[in-house]
Amino acid sequence: MAPSYILLVEDNPDDLFLASRIIGKACQHEILTARDGEEADELLRRMEQDDSYYQIKLVLLDLKLPKISGLDLLRAIRASAKLQVLTVAVLTSSDNETDQEQCRELGVVDYIYKPMTVERLQGILSRNEGAQ
Amino acid sequence: MKDEAREGAGASMLYVEDEADARQMVTRMLAMNYPHLTVHCADNGLQALELYRQHTPEIVMTDINMPVMDGIRMSREIKAINPEVSIIAVTAHSDTSYLLSAIEIGVHHYVLKPLNYQELFTVLDKVLEQIELKRLVSAQHRRLAQSECQLAAAQRIAHLGSWQRGIDAENMDWSDEMYRICGLAPGAIPPSYHSFLERFHPDDREEVASSMQSALSPDHQPEHKFVRVLRPEGDVRIVRIDVEGVRETGGASGVIGTCHDVTELKQAEQQIRLLTEELERRVLQRTSLLQATVSELENFSYFVSHDLRAPVARLEGFCTALVEDCGVCGHANCRQYAERSASVVQQIKQIMDAFNSLTHLARCTLTIRDTDLSAFARGIARSLAAGEPQRKVEFVIAEGARVKGDPELLEKALGQLLGNAWKFTSKKEQGRIEFGWTDQQGVRAYFVRDNGAGFNMKYAQKLFKPFQTIHAPGEFGWGGTGIGLATAHSIVLRHGGRMWAEGEVGQGASFYFTLEPNPESGSYLKEA
Repeated sequence: MAPSYILLVEDNPDDLFLASRIIGKACQHEILTARDGEEADELLRRMEQDDSYYQIKLVLLDLKLPKISGLDLLRAIRASAKLQVLTVAVLTSSDNETDQEQCRELGVVDYIYKPMTVERLQGILSRNEGAQ
Repeated sequence: MKDEAREGAGASMLYVEDEADARQMVTRMLAMNYPHLTVHCADNGLQALELYRQHTPEIVMTDINMPVMDGIRMSREIKAINPEVSIIAVTAHSDTSYLLSAIEIGVHHYVLKPLNYQELFTVLDKVLEQIELKRLVSAQHRRLAQSECQLAAAQRIAHLGSWQRGIDAENMDWSDEMYRICGLAPGAIPPSYHSFLERFHPDDREEVASSMQSALSPDHQPEHKFVRVLRPEGDVRIVRIDVEGVRETGGASGVIGTCHDVTELKQAEQQIRLLTEELERRVLQRTSLLQATVSELENFSYFVSHDLRAPVARLEGFCTALVEDCGVCGHANCRQYAERSASVVQQIKQIMDAFNSLTHLARCTLTIRDTDLSAFARGIARSLAAGEPQRKVEFVIAEGARVKGDPELLEKALGQLLGNAWKFTSKKEQGRIEFGWTDQQGVRAYFVRDNGAGFNMKYAQKLFKPFQTIHAPGEFGWGGTGIGLATAHSIVLRHGGRMWAEGEVGQGASFYFTLEPNPESGSYLKEA
């Protein structure tokens, strides 16, 4: 059976550690990490090409990222014929209402204020499995 | 001529006749025919002269041939005193030799002896008519002189000169005040058109000349110009020139105009303009200072609400990890420390939220509308009572507190004040909370008054500061954000008002606030 992934796009090492810790506690999915928007974009393009992208069960996306911002990456995902099906949740510490509004319009399944909890992540994953 | 005037009203006559019988007869006839004429009688010239000096009558009727002083000599003396007097000579044919000298001294009327009354009355009527005419003319003269005098005084007081000029005429008429405005003594120079133009600043002469020209046009609209007059001593006066055409049948015959010295007025206007400009400059300066401060605050609050959130969230994450992963550690302190750290993180987050909420009040845009504070107070009281139905609190709310302000914010402020009163009356058997207003020196101060715990006035300064409490923690419950009164205070400040409190321990507290009658909508932040 092909492995399933959660793609964690996060630049801050502490946040990366904390989120990875919660993912490890909440589920069995493997963690793919990208440290900025560009790295995430390249990774997604490769997986789009070899059609492994469907193995990504959830993208956890920080908004404030170096190079390509979280919002721009989200737009790129939604603009791609294949990648647009990906489930994306935003993981942020900002309470910017405009960001939140735009993310909702771009179809994110959840908008999580850091720190993320095991329960919250499991909630998203179980709703998502039910939907698939 | 009016009858009374014809009958000699207001006039008096000196009658000189040496024959007593004739005198009495004539006097009686005069009294019958001229009931309003005052008649003084004398029997010789010398006595008559004496009487004349006493009474100065307008008419003297005299016999010529008399003892002591004859009529001719007496008439000459009287004429010398008053050339205007009318003298009627009563002469016998034998007196004709005197007639030439009588005419020479100005005796214009005579009647012959023996007296024919009809003839006398005809002459007297004529004399009275002349006197009345003279009186009318001199009254007209007086009126004219008086109004000229008044006009000159008015011009002088108002610094308003006038002038007149015939079409293309070189000669003009200037009023005395016109001269004075130009710094000249009245009549000091001949009032010619050229010297008129020369009174003005060289740059303004064209303007003055064209005003005078255009005033001649039949469809000329009244207009005025402000021009400069150069005085010989060198100072400059600012005058307002008004010109009108003088119309007669057949068209304009010239122009008439006024010249109003408005130098002081213009200087005051200039002063006001300068002051206004200065004021505007200062307002601009202060506004930009204020905007800079607000924008600084904006940056700072962005820092708190965004930049600080990320590390605090991390700290919270690690605290949770600590509780979860090290909570089971054998060392008893580990779990306790981990839990206490987690609770400290919650405190930090609360403070950040409170800070953001307060700075939001300073930055947010006000939407000013007609607002009924009484209605808000009623609603808030209802919901407070519904929240704790077991409490006995009497609300006394004055009706009709209508103000201009941001309804949402004012309701919030009132909610904080009433909520505060509700909280601090919780230990009273029978609470009483009042909302109303009092007018002090023309300023309306609204208040929320309670009979609750009150406070010591020496802590009054602390009341409106965030997170400052003057009661022990938990004494009145653990609820509350610690920024309730600070919030109300901020809202009142945003409405250009003031807030203060009065209280006494155990005797309740009163919170007062004022509001600017017409607060401005919008915010201090520059439009993006």
